Amino acid sequence: MSNPTVERTHRRVFRWTRQDIPGAAMAAPGVIGLLVFVAAPFLVAVVLSFFNAQLNSPRTPNFIGITQYARLFSDSQFWRALGNNLTFAAFVIPVQTAIALGLAMLVNQRLRGISIFRALFFLPVIFPMALVAVVWRLILSRSEDGLLNSLVHVTTFGQVGAQDWLGNSATALPSIILLSIWQGVGFQMIILLAGLQDIPQERYEAAQLDRASRWQQFLYVTLPGLRNTLIFVVLLTSILAFRVYDQVYILITSGGANKSATQTVLYQATTSVFDQNNLGRASAITVVFFAIVLAITVIQRRVVRQESEA
Amino acid sequence: MKHRKKAGDGIVAVSAAALLLAACSSGGNGTSSAGDGTGDVEVWAHQGKDTEVAALQDAVANFNASQTDINVNLTLVPEADYTTTIQSTSAGDLPDVLELDGPTLASFVYDAKVAPIDGYVSQDTIDNATVGNVNQGTVDGTLYALAQFNSGLGLFANGAMLDAAGVSYPDSIESAWTADEFLSALKTLAAANDSGYALDIKENYGLGGEWGTYAFSPLLQSAGGNLIADNRASDVLDGPESVSAMEAFQSWMPYVDPNEDDSAFVDGRVAISWGGHWMYPGYSEALGNDLVVLPLPDMGTGTKSGAGSWTWGMGSTTQQGAAAGAFLDYLLNDENVKAMTTANGAPPATKSALATDALYSAGGALELWGQQLEAGCNADSITEDCVTVLRPLTAGYPVITSEFASALAAIAIGDDVQSALTRAATAIDQSFSDNNDYQ
Repeated sequence: MSNPTVERTHRRVFRWTRQDIPGAAMAAPGVIGLLVFVAAPFLVAVVLSFFNAQLNSPRTPNFIGITQYARLFSDSQFWRALGNNLTFAAFVIPVQTAIALGLAMLVNQRLRGISIFRALFFLPVIFPMALVAVVWRLILSRSEDGLLNSLVHVTTFGQVGAQDWLGNSATALPSIILLSIWQGVGFQMIILLAGLQDIPQERYEAAQLDRASRWQQFLYVTLPGLRNTLIFVVLLTSILAFRVYDQVYILITSGGANKSATQTVLYQATTSVFDQNNLGRASAITVVFFAIVLAITVIQRRVVRQESEA
Repeated sequence: MKHRKKAGDGIVAVSAAALLLAACSSGGNGTSSAGDGTGDVEVWAHQGKDTEVAALQDAVANFNASQTDINVNLTLVPEADYTTTIQSTSAGDLPDVLELDGPTLASFVYDAKVAPIDGYVSQDTIDNATVGNVNQGTVDGTLYALAQFNSGLGLFANGAMLDAAGVSYPDSIESAWTADEFLSALKTLAAANDSGYALDIKENYGLGGEWGTYAFSPLLQSAGGNLIADNRASDVLDGPESVSAMEAFQSWMPYVDPNEDDSAFVDGRVAISWGGHWMYPGYSEALGNDLVVLPLPDMGTGTKSGAGSWTWGMGSTTQQGAAAGAFLDYLLNDENVKAMTTANGAPPATKSALATDALYSAGGALELWGQQLEAGCNADSITEDCVTVLRPLTAGYPVITSEFASALAAIAIGDDVQSALTRAATAIDQSFSDNNDYQ
């Protein structure tokens, strides 16, 4: 209690001084934006999830309590979608970050024309996901003439026949993981490349004088130097992994992808509200998903913070 | 953190917007009036093929030039967003005249977005509409919409390839292939083709979308099953007849070309294409005299086919009923119907235009499909003679089509038929019971 900083903050809360006005004024647009576009819609969704609300119906929604949640938790398709989301995240977050790091180190070398390689690896990021999904639909086609099937046919000397990569429940989600990593990895690569170039060259020279091997240099110079960048990249990849939607939607609706094996929670929410007008169910899905993502974020933040303090 | 929140909350923001729209739309309760028959008439239409757009724009321009009292303003909305646009516009903001996709009409009536048109459109126009056209536009005994054209669905076949493979094929509605005959024809044709495939079912459209319901729910009805009966899907959609139809469908899948490039049929990779009238111009050009048109397979109670397409209605709060009716009378006259059906190859939905149509009347290349459309009925009153069945006229249709098409897509890639259909039927029934059967 005798801590002077704490006392000062207490006083600032109660006495509104002149200097606070510009600060509050400048924060206001952001705060109001958050309240209007994030907090308020979320509260509306919580309320809607207790009603049998139909999109755009002139009838008054009737209160049905926790029915939507009860149905959700007893719906095997919802659990399947959540499982798909978690599987996707569990593979994409580590694998995509690792590949991005490998690529960043590859293109960080001083070679003639290296910027061409950088541009090539970054290229898929520029493509809209809709386009990527359509291109991969051709690659993953179940036809014998599909690009992947042709490749498998040639490399196995015709021993392996045509596979329905997107239709088969065993290969559908891995296919989507693969194309998502292919599309997204360049972005993480560029961020990590910037991080790599921030590591002072002297540290590597010092490590070489100490006769550190390449592996030891990576372990004790590169990784610690990239620490903050890596944390950022992992957080960013997690965000993108949980909101996976575009490629799933496109491949399910027009690519013959196995719906139960590839659907995600966001896919279910949008299908409920836009295909079936079921606003209440979509709201319940969103609220549950928000709670899960919030829990994961809190855990992730806590783990990262502990490490940075250690 | 900020990014993370955005991810989950995009949906929430949309939901909130939808709630606001829902609240707004409850203001309009369907009070249209005739007006004085002069002034501006706002018209919304979907932006289809360029040729269709040109035909519609010509009709509007000619109508405006033909008289001085009424001025029609046409607004085109991209096809992919059209129905969503109508759904998310409150009744008070809808135009005087609007185009609607046939199977969505009942849900717009339920949402009080469209007005009855029989007081505004002339009796001659109504009398000249084909039975299927009037059926499509009638909800609970009231006429809400009339169409310029209908749709035709069946099999296109490459006669030369069928003859070369020694496969005989039907030449009338009555002689349609049975499910077994169809399967054995597919086997023979696939064996005779280097591609190993025999059939194109337009998988590139996505079986999980409206195409799936439009093109394949007739199989259920042909087997004696249905999507829904008396507002219940259980024991109908997942009854033994429907299951047998979908099991037959599943047995055809090994012979189906994925058709990513939409040219399986014209490239000769398959001998048969399951398609609609809009494929006719391209197929006819590519195959010439080899192109033959067949009915869909008969699953037990006679072949059934799909029908219905874009149709014209009026916004529920229009104050220009008389002027809007005059414009619809003009749009549905022979000249404009023919201009439109020439542009898109569809069967005319008016008696006088159909009778003189070169494609669908006696002797025309699509005569068989013209006959199919003459034998039309609603999904709740299917008779043995009926061939073209309209999709169910209920406000719950969005749920029915979404669930059935999802089940169809799952069946196509090998899921268990009974459990896929039961899952769909259960979800449909739940939605109907939640919403008082959409009454």
